[in-house]
Amino acid sequence: MSGKEIDIGLHVLDHQLLDKDGRRCGNVDDLAIEGGVGEVPEVVAILCGPGYWGQRAGLVGRLAGWIGGGRKVRVPWSEVCKVDSAVELKRGATELGLGRGDDRVRPYMDKIPGAGR
Amino acid sequence: MSKALGLGLGIIAAIGGFVDIGDLVFNVAAGATFGYQLLWVIVIGLIGIIVYSEMCGRVAAVSGRAVFDAIRERVGFKGAVVALVSSEVVNLMTLAAELGGVAIALQLLSGLPYRWLIVFAVVAFAVVIWVTTFEWIERIFGFGGLCMLVFAVVAVKLGPDWGQVGAGFVPHIAHTNSLLYAYFVVGILGTAMTPYEVYFYSSGGIEDQWSPKDLGLNRANAILGYGLGGTLSFALMITGGALFLSHGISPQHLGTVALAAEQPLGQVGLLLALVGILFAVGAASIDTVFAGAYNLAQFCGWEWGRYRNPRGAPRFALTWLVLLLLALGILMTGVDPVALTEYAVLFSVVALPLTYVPILLVANDKAYMGRYVNGRFANALGLIYLVVIMIVALAAIPLMILTNVGQN
Repeated sequence: MSGKEIDIGLHVLDHQLLDKDGRRCGNVDDLAIEGGVGEVPEVVAILCGPGYWGQRAGLVGRLAGWIGGGRKVRVPWSEVCKVDSAVELKRGATELGLGRGDDRVRPYMDKIPGAGR
Repeated sequence: MSKALGLGLGIIAAIGGFVDIGDLVFNVAAGATFGYQLLWVIVIGLIGIIVYSEMCGRVAAVSGRAVFDAIRERVGFKGAVVALVSSEVVNLMTLAAELGGVAIALQLLSGLPYRWLIVFAVVAFAVVIWVTTFEWIERIFGFGGLCMLVFAVVAVKLGPDWGQVGAGFVPHIAHTNSLLYAYFVVGILGTAMTPYEVYFYSSGGIEDQWSPKDLGLNRANAILGYGLGGTLSFALMITGGALFLSHGISPQHLGTVALAAEQPLGQVGLLLALVGILFAVGAASIDTVFAGAYNLAQFCGWEWGRYRNPRGAPRFALTWLVLLLLALGILMTGVDPVALTEYAVLFSVVALPLTYVPILLVANDKAYMGRYVNGRFANALGLIYLVVIMIVALAAIPLMILTNVGQN
């Protein structure tokens, strides 16, 4: 990632994550930012999963995160290939540990005839 | 598919998407109570839905992002949780009301018991959505819903006083019973601008894989489709005014609305009206169940859409299945779908600002929209409608309480 300037609050946070095949695999639920006093802060990772909702919205977020299963996935910023209206990643969702929920529900849906139509 | 065909189908789908059980209930009841006096409110609601649908369709075509993506990005996580919970509650109430409407129409057509028909309707919708593509769902229900046009014929055949009809298009305040009048103003605006319509419209644009070259199609669908849908609302209100007001009938049942078509057109009219109601309300059932699933999936970042099969978007498929079952549960308690409709519309009005503000913000974002950002005209109308929405949202609950949900 280099080149044009982006506002991470407006154009990264809460945006859709797309893997290398364009699969929707979560949202940017929070960002990990590093940098001490006097240093230039740097975004080091995208934090994805209901487990991070608590730090976004207190009690309501914790409740929603608990209902959502509380999973946490950390995706290093180096995996980001493009920030557009969505955040596009360099690798597949499964490799990065994303989209696990869809993968878990899929076998059940597959038991119903016509799920592949 | 040729451009003209795509355009025609889109318009037909939008007509079907505009008229739902809320329009049937509020417009006919308003006609039965105030004659043609509230026709102007439909015009205001109609322009509002056209402006915001065009905007969110444009955002979808240019950025590939739907309304609930925009909500999460723009009102922050907390605001989005509030918007999600309120929209899901309202969507579920609306879904139950629409499915109840389908069961009533089926009952009037077949004479079978209502509760069995609810179960039948839910199972039938689950199967139709599971096996049919998005395109065909839009087409089947769009064409079926065209039978509703019988109400345009009915409205003319009933021979209303056209001078009074014309006067109804001029905005004015009622001199008597002004609280009830205000209640109907809020209800008619609410049902014309129901949030599920924009959720479905924008996600539907992505289902149909719109790109910037479809912006003309988007504009035509919004203006012509909703415009024609609005004409049906005029017809329903005029019918209510010409038939029920003069006879002192206040229609409490969907069947009464269909009977209005029998008066001037006989059995054929009644049959067309019932089939039209069945498909229009059926289309709305599908719109609302999809809207509920779109919103949750977009909030969580899941894969979604009927253009992906259930294997490709498993949690999305699971969500709409669960929503159908919840709606079935609500209807099985024996709640009256018409009463449920009134509550659903009034609560949806309260949720309107949380839906419409983010659309306006995103449509103005250059980083998102490039050269397709809102022009001055869209922004002026967008801002005017935000004010209208705010006033209506603030007035909805007090009016509901003061008029005892339109009963006095």
